[in-house]
Amino acid sequence: MSGHVKNMCPQLTISQAARTLLSLLLVAAIDSVSAGVVCRKQPCGSSLQRSLKLTKLIHKESVDLLKTYKLSQGDMSELFCQMSINNVPDPNISGLDPSERMLSIYSHCKAFLPHLKRVTEQQTDLQPPSSSLLSKLSTAHNRTNGLANQINCIYQTLFPNLPIPPEPVDGPTSVPPSQNVFQQKVYGCVVLKRFKEFLSRVTRELRTLKSQVCTRRTPFADTNALF
Amino acid sequence: MPSLFFCILLLGLGVTESQASGLAPPQQVRLDADKETQTLSVTWEDGHASTFDVEILRTELMEMVLNETVGVTENQSTGKHQWNWTSPVPLECTSLSVKVRSRDGQDVSEWSSQQILPGLDLPDNTDSQMYPEGKTVPVGSNMTFCCIVEEGQQFGSLWYKDTLMKENMLSRRTYATTMTNQGSSNPSGTNVVCSNEKKMIIAGAVVFVGYPPLPSDLVCETHDLISVDCQWSKGRDTYLFGMTRQTYYTLNGRNCPKARNSNMRCGLEQWDGNWTLVARNLLGEFRLTDAAELGHRVRPVAPVNLTTPEVYSWNASVGWLWKDKGFERLSLICQVQRTSHLNSSTQTYTGYGLNTVVLKDLQPDEKYSVKVRCGSQKNFWKWGEWSFPLSFQTKMDRPVAPDIWLWMDSDNLGRVLWKPLTKSESHGQISGYEVILWSPEENSQQTLTLPQSVYSLPINVTDRGSKVTVTVTAQNPAGASLPANVVIPRYLLDAEDTAISKVAFNGSGFPLSWVAHANASCGYVVDWYNTSCTQDCNVEWTRVAADNTNTMVQSGNFFAGVRYTFSVYACSSESTVLLERWHGYMQELVPSRTVPRLSPKQEGADVQLTWDQIPLEHQGGFILGYTVYLTNASHLTLLANITDPQLTNHTVKNLVLGSYKFTVKAYTAAGEDGGATVSISLEPYTYWLIMEILVALGTMTCLLIVITIACYRKRKWVKKAFYPEIPEPKLPGDWGITQGTLDVKPSPHSMVHIVEDSVWDSSKEALVTVPEEDEEGTGDEAADTDEPASLRYYNQVVEEGSSSQRRPHASDSSASSTGSMDSGHTDVTYTGIQTSACSLAPFQPQPDASQCVGGGGYRPQMQSASCPEEPQTGPEEHLQPPVGSFGGYQPQCSWKPDSPEADGDGLDQACLGSPTSVTSSQFLLPYDTSEEGKEHPSSASTWFHNLLTGKP
Repeated sequence: MSGHVKNMCPQLTISQAARTLLSLLLVAAIDSVSAGVVCRKQPCGSSLQRSLKLTKLIHKESVDLLKTYKLSQGDMSELFCQMSINNVPDPNISGLDPSERMLSIYSHCKAFLPHLKRVTEQQTDLQPPSSSLLSKLSTAHNRTNGLANQINCIYQTLFPNLPIPPEPVDGPTSVPPSQNVFQQKVYGCVVLKRFKEFLSRVTRELRTLKSQVCTRRTPFADTNALF
Repeated sequence: MPSLFFCILLLGLGVTESQASGLAPPQQVRLDADKETQTLSVTWEDGHASTFDVEILRTELMEMVLNETVGVTENQSTGKHQWNWTSPVPLECTSLSVKVRSRDGQDVSEWSSQQILPGLDLPDNTDSQMYPEGKTVPVGSNMTFCCIVEEGQQFGSLWYKDTLMKENMLSRRTYATTMTNQGSSNPSGTNVVCSNEKKMIIAGAVVFVGYPPLPSDLVCETHDLISVDCQWSKGRDTYLFGMTRQTYYTLNGRNCPKARNSNMRCGLEQWDGNWTLVARNLLGEFRLTDAAELGHRVRPVAPVNLTTPEVYSWNASVGWLWKDKGFERLSLICQVQRTSHLNSSTQTYTGYGLNTVVLKDLQPDEKYSVKVRCGSQKNFWKWGEWSFPLSFQTKMDRPVAPDIWLWMDSDNLGRVLWKPLTKSESHGQISGYEVILWSPEENSQQTLTLPQSVYSLPINVTDRGSKVTVTVTAQNPAGASLPANVVIPRYLLDAEDTAISKVAFNGSGFPLSWVAHANASCGYVVDWYNTSCTQDCNVEWTRVAADNTNTMVQSGNFFAGVRYTFSVYACSSESTVLLERWHGYMQELVPSRTVPRLSPKQEGADVQLTWDQIPLEHQGGFILGYTVYLTNASHLTLLANITDPQLTNHTVKNLVLGSYKFTVKAYTAAGEDGGATVSISLEPYTYWLIMEILVALGTMTCLLIVITIACYRKRKWVKKAFYPEIPEPKLPGDWGITQGTLDVKPSPHSMVHIVEDSVWDSSKEALVTVPEEDEEGTGDEAADTDEPASLRYYNQVVEEGSSSQRRPHASDSSASSTGSMDSGHTDVTYTGIQTSACSLAPFQPQPDASQCVGGGGYRPQMQSASCPEEPQTGPEEHLQPPVGSFGGYQPQCSWKPDSPEADGDGLDQACLGSPTSVTSSQFLLPYDTSEEGKEHPSSASTWFHNLLTGKP
């Protein structure tokens, strides 16, 4: 039957193959568009080192950002960060193997982005336009987005057979609904505090991953090839 | 029982009252709360009265909040009564119970059913909360905050900013505090927080305290004769930020979205003539108005497209365009600002629809930048904006005549100098200079062309006559300048003809004034230069008008400590005459060098110091004199202050012998220099030395004369002391007495040995004749003797020490050598006979003292009776007198022939004697027994003692 078909419709077979190829290309294009990232192939060590440097930079800036934030929130703001707020991403990085932990870093970066954006919006209504807090918040948001993209590229390079799930592995942390001004202040403080802690952990994690993954690049690649 | 009665009575009274009034209680009481404004609205029906009693309680604690009688009219359309109450405490804080009754005078109805406005502290609302949140209130207002504590927690404290507040309990979970007279808050608002007993924040609120807007100075104008542009001042800060709290502006009802921060302006498309600005925020609004006619508020926009249709050397025209045609029909006043590298100036022009102006008094070959702004000439309001600048360059023109001068080095040699033309003088790039030397007497002319970088020319006016005129012209592409002439002045040294004065710098320059000269038709020239300069000096000059006889010489080239010579010349077409000359310092300094060639010269007890004058370039100021110091270590003692600077020597008088150090310092008005120091050591004078020698010689002569006289007068004593008569020994037989040295030549077969034996034995002490062959056993001293030694007896005094020193060390080679030498002649010398006996003793056993003590008779060779006890003692000790004493004259130790003890073979013979003759120069005096144990004086000292004491 198949021979018949083959004999009867050779052009159709060719067109199906072309269609399949076209579909694959479309899927790949859509996937790259959805990722929004153009990854350059770089050695494992240099790409991780680059991300590590960026993480250190963001972490250093996050320390200053938190300090600036507290200074601009008025009296007693030092105690705001001690209050408990729900739905703020947990700074801990989860996962057992490097791929899971790297995925956790990526999803955390993505999870923090809307919160940073929300804090920026809230503080825009509480600070004069010339406030340095607003520019620092904006910078932190952009750099974190860049870090997430870098982690994404590293993950794709190191673990090409492991797709990145669309949803964060640690579960979504939606931005809070409307808050009063005091709640906004507390929320921002908690977000920035956890953000700082997360970056500290990422710094350690990337350092560990660099020593683990990049020195055992081939075994991991082979392992991933099994999946 | 009484209480029951009381209750019944009250019930009865109540029934009686309600029944008596007949007022129906309000029905359908309803509560509506506006929590934002903290307003409680109470409505009820069926109250036919116009006065009602309202009672509000906190439900939980039943505390009275309000009990008030209010007048409320019935709403005719709805038939309801409505009464509003604003609570000082947020309505969320706790539940409120409200009841109403009608009142008609003293008659009241029954209370309505109690209505409860539930608070947020109900048990089903377990979270911690704080109210009000996010309110905006004016500065100075009072505000009550309440904290609802989470179920299960204990209240801790309430804080307003960083102030701990006093709380008030409203319910089981609610606590309130009131802040009065609130101050302005920061942009993010004022925090009010509530903490639990663990001092953890459990809830908080933010309040924004600020001001309503208060803008001012609304001014509207037109830039294009059509539209309106209004501006105003922001005024007092509202302290309120954010989308909801910031101030919003409207102009004539239209929003002004661009009015932000400090840019307080808003525009309208058409000129209305009246404008109202409304500024509004959450705390209130403020209105500003302005009204004006269009022609009175014209502020033109900047002209555009500036051009320069015509540009010349000294003027140019500038034109521009108007974007709005309306300005072409308006009388305008315009300012044109032109800027060159020299200066900036603004000129004003007017005209109907002005769009072109002519700029005058420009500089040739100069770059200019111009910009224009205009205003309405009629009903001028404000200048418009400056246009963009336009740059252009004027054309070149002939340069101005250079400023020339002549500086003569000598009678015939000098330099023609001219100042470089400035940008404003050259009128273009200078291409060169032309110099003409013209002598009318000789009718000769010499023309030289020099490049633009040369500003001087050496000249030689030899054989050119007494009057030589120099002419210099500058040239640029536009042509040559007018000629500049000067007649060569006569060369004058400082010392010639003209007196030189001093001129002082007064802070800005050197003020010079002189007597007017009759022939100064072209004014005066003042030149100056560094006085110490001798060749190719930098000469500067300035010109002074003929009617002026003073000037202030100013230059940026004056330096402190440099002397300048100023000369003023009268200038005419016929001659140049020197009128006066000055020297001056911009600032006098101490001399930079000390006086040179400082030298001292001794003149007896005086010292003359001479030095040279400090070179002019190192004087630093006018030398006022010199100070002479005597330097003692670091201390200077002023010796003289020489106030005549020409005097360069000083004599320091009446110095005693010794070393001196002198310091000479020159001083100016600024002080002394470091000082030159010179040292001199005063030596004794020659005639003093001669005198000292003469005195010494005279003294010696006198002393000799005295001694001679004394000796002459005491000559008998002297003879007796020095040459006592020796009694002749009485010997049996005929002994011929021979004078002088007795040479005894021993037999060739025998030698005389001086037998030394410290053990004095007179029986053995003798000169022993030793056979010649025994000589070898005596030692080396005899080996060198070729001839038989002869015994010689010298009448000679030999120093005792020399022999006595040698003898104890006869075993030494030196002693042997001495012995050998002595044995050359086998001389026997009576030397210190009495003592030598003792000195020879150490090598012999200690003799018995009794053996040494001889009798008191004449014993010319008597052996010393004493023998030294210690052989190690020095030679002096060997001079100690013998233990025994000689009672009488003891010329010498006794000599006994055939002494059995005289058979020793050494030279250390205790006593030498001759059986034939003894000639002694030694005092042969007995020892004083009383001197026993003391150091025995020498024979010379004894003699001297006797001489002094006059003893014979």
